[in-house]
Amino acid sequence: MKFIVSLSFGVSLIAAPSFAKDVTIGLAGPLSGPQAYFGSTWHNGFKLYIDKLNAAGGVNGTTVKIDQEDDKADPREGTLVAQKFCDNEDVVIGLVNFNSGVAQSTLPIYEDCTLPTMTFGSNPALTQQGYKYMVRPVANDFAGALLPAEYALQKLGAKSAIVVNDKQVFGQGISEIFGKNFTAGGGKLLDTLSVAPTDVDFTAVLAQIKTKNPDVIYLGAVMPQLALFAKQMHEQGVKATLLVPDGGYTPDYISQAGHANVQGSLVAVQAPPMDASPAIADFAKQYKEKFGSEAGPYSIYGYVQGQILEAVLKNAKGLTRADMNTGLHNVKVDTAIGHLEFDDVGELKVAPSYLYKVDGDKFTLIGQK
Amino acid sequence: MSSTDTTMQSIPRTGRLVPIVVFIVAIALIALTPFLGNYYIRVVNGLLIYILLGIGLNIVIGYAGLLDLGFVAFYAVGAYTYGLLASAQLGIHLPFLLIVLIAALLGMLVGILLGVPVLKLRGDYLAIVTLGFGEIIRILVNNVDWLTGGPKGIARLDKASIFGIEIARPVDFYWLLLVTVFIVATIVWRMEKSILGKAWAAIREDQDAARGIGINTTNAKLAAFATSATIGSIAGVIFAASQRFVSPESFSLQESVLIVLMIVIGGIGNILGIIAGAAILILLPEVLREFAEWRILFLGLLMIALIILRPAGIVPRSFGPERLIRGLFGK
Amino acid sequence: MLGTIIQQTVNALTIGSIYALIALGYTMVYGVLRMINFAHGEMFMLGAYAAFLGLSIFIGDIGGAGAFALTAIFFGAVIAVGLVGVGIERIAYKPLRNSTRLAPMLSSLGVSLSLVTGIQILAGPQPVGFPSFFPATRLDVLGGTVTLVQIGILIAAFVLMFGLYMLVNRSRAGIIVRAVSESRPTAQLLGINVNLAISLVFFSGPLLGAAGGILYASYYGIMSPSMGAVIGLKAFTAAILGGIGSIPGAMLGSFILAFVEVAGTALLPIVSGGILGTEYRDVLSFTILILVLLVRPAGILGTPVSEESMVYKREF
Repeated sequence: MKFIVSLSFGVSLIAAPSFAKDVTIGLAGPLSGPQAYFGSTWHNGFKLYIDKLNAAGGVNGTTVKIDQEDDKADPREGTLVAQKFCDNEDVVIGLVNFNSGVAQSTLPIYEDCTLPTMTFGSNPALTQQGYKYMVRPVANDFAGALLPAEYALQKLGAKSAIVVNDKQVFGQGISEIFGKNFTAGGGKLLDTLSVAPTDVDFTAVLAQIKTKNPDVIYLGAVMPQLALFAKQMHEQGVKATLLVPDGGYTPDYISQAGHANVQGSLVAVQAPPMDASPAIADFAKQYKEKFGSEAGPYSIYGYVQGQILEAVLKNAKGLTRADMNTGLHNVKVDTAIGHLEFDDVGELKVAPSYLYKVDGDKFTLIGQK
Repeated sequence: MSSTDTTMQSIPRTGRLVPIVVFIVAIALIALTPFLGNYYIRVVNGLLIYILLGIGLNIVIGYAGLLDLGFVAFYAVGAYTYGLLASAQLGIHLPFLLIVLIAALLGMLVGILLGVPVLKLRGDYLAIVTLGFGEIIRILVNNVDWLTGGPKGIARLDKASIFGIEIARPVDFYWLLLVTVFIVATIVWRMEKSILGKAWAAIREDQDAARGIGINTTNAKLAAFATSATIGSIAGVIFAASQRFVSPESFSLQESVLIVLMIVIGGIGNILGIIAGAAILILLPEVLREFAEWRILFLGLLMIALIILRPAGIVPRSFGPERLIRGLFGK
Repeated sequence: MLGTIIQQTVNALTIGSIYALIALGYTMVYGVLRMINFAHGEMFMLGAYAAFLGLSIFIGDIGGAGAFALTAIFFGAVIAVGLVGVGIERIAYKPLRNSTRLAPMLSSLGVSLSLVTGIQILAGPQPVGFPSFFPATRLDVLGGTVTLVQIGILIAAFVLMFGLYMLVNRSRAGIIVRAVSESRPTAQLLGINVNLAISLVFFSGPLLGAAGGILYASYYGIMSPSMGAVIGLKAFTAAILGGIGSIPGAMLGSFILAFVEVAGTALLPIVSGGILGTEYRDVLSFTILILVLLVRPAGILGTPVSEESMVYKREF
């Protein structure tokens, strides 16, 4: 044992840009309450990659530690966690906040203590406020809502649409963008309806939609609402094609809505097909082995954030927060979901977006951009 | 259990030891906090905001004996007053203290507007109506996008400053909150001892008898509602200024329930009890943070245990500030 | 147009009957203990989880389950939750029976928090798909679409509510419960076993709530640890609207609330000329609740309870 320690010490002296020090990554997301599922499965994706990384000896001898905290999807809790990460010198990158609303209140704190973050909130406004210490490794909602609108108009030949949103930052934001793109492309927006984020019964809304008979319905919401809506839409006899954002890209969407009820529904995601690359298929398999359940809808992004971190550490000149920030802004990395790099406000340079159609038990790729 | 046992005779029993210990610990904690890390200061700030809210709601629940489950609405009024008057949302940038004044008046106004129709209701019906009112305010804030920004909320609020001194760091807010809590607690404590406070106590003990001896119960209840709303609104302003962001999810029904719980677990009708309740419900989950959802389970079970073992709260109504002061100065 | 009206009416009846099953539990507990049981929504959630557990242990695959097995699991689950309800009353509320009025209510908040978190720890926080107890057949009624599940829920709910009505009004046990509801001290003086009445209420309330939970999970195809919170609040609102303490009131309040919600979604945008969208549905429900209480302070069917039991007299 002693021999190994001295050996690894010797190696680390020889290898040029290597640091025997550990780095800590602060993870903040909802781990309790109704959104706990999203937060914990997203974090699990990251942990999966980091455990692999550490098992292989880390990056240049640097192992990665994780400080995982619960922000309860509450802005007030979020600021406490942010301050905790800021105060802890060992934390060099924050992987923070599932909710754009929480990110809004924590980003100023991270900015003040110069702690770089990989932000998960996809609201376009986040990168437009001049923050220098953030990057966003997920496509913002502009990208997420363009492809489905184009596809509906050109390929489905849709003339009319109804937009439904859950009156949350994400759902409302992305469905507004869809509506704009759809009208800009010559379609007619018949109505915009809102439901409460806690709603499970959409039958009343659907019976009203039925009277207007739209060609497509865009639903800006998250799981499990997406599945509930799809199921009830079918049961209420609404014939339109349902388009949903990335939350629907999970086997749960099909199983919870009921197989027959989601056939033909379209899902827009930033991720390429699960079986498109061996990397993603491999990820899904490893996830199931490690955590005993299917990967959550956002797990793949956590995994990708692990890959980004690996690339940053590989090329880092040091392990300070400033080094990490430079590293994040300059990173060029091939991940499980494709090549990623950031522009000067921290937004993805090319935000790939894919459109899937539910076909049997699977998602079939039908368009990409 | 909760008899108003504040007579002079009861003092020698506990002696002066408890008040002296409480006092020394309190001074030590107050003096030490600014030297802690920013995270700890933020935790204490959160605690102080809840104490302020607790003092406000306690007037209605603890003094006047009315169950209000929509208190968070007033908190929202204050927070959004700051959000709208100190940000680019409407392009208005008023000074902090002026907004405090506006929010206090607005809170009072909303309190009276709500109070006038609902105060003839009693008990549980009052509780459900105030709950409905709290939900209505939250849904309105979430839906009136052109004014409040809807679910996105209002970000990048102005930094607060008082007479040219910028209040931005956690420690600045610590002092601001400490001074505010002290002033508000003193005023409220004096109110409780005033004629108005006696009227509240009479209403709490027996509303019909109170009316019988010539107390204008409607006005006294309205005064309780308005004072409590004013304090809630001021707490909202400070909350918004310290977060520099407001959004509807901070004003959910759970917040109202949390404040009620804080008061009851700590000791209803007693400012010291509120501090104890806040320490348990706000501080404990933070201390146990690493236990993730287990801490919430523990909190739930602890709540049941505390209510069964001490139904009148951790600090009895009789152990109020005056007891502390008398114990200290030997009178 | 007629089709839409029929479809919306059936939708409202379905939601209303699920609300009613839960609202009955709130109202019965209130009747005997004058206490708002905030943990009641969790009985609804437990019902779904208990049935799911039963299904996965005894059947595994719902496709192969016969009607008898499903019925057995349904009743097994609701009875189990009824017993849990009795146990909770013994542990968390009974010691507080002579305490302040607020104490048991807050204790029930603690129970609610513990149950939700407990299930979250045991079964995971994620929503889980729930198999349907009814075949997914759609019927076309004069242009409106109605599903067999909805009809099944309506029938099941009405059978259960009729059962409760018979129990309360036509049985000896019901007399005891009604006597204690009327006046606990008097019932005690007359030698009525108050504990038995309270246990009976804490058995049948959670039982109906659990039945509501199973029907709900089966209708929407999903269950989650937090499912009791939202629906619990709505059922509670319905119970108050109808007049808390009154059993017919809870049923009436539930259907009124469901119709207001459906009407809010369907008519609000049209009536307000597009100013108020569907997002104001809950504002409408709460406004109606407040207006009803201002006119009839004890709810629609509630008898104005005696001053003594309503006022927070020397209570905290």
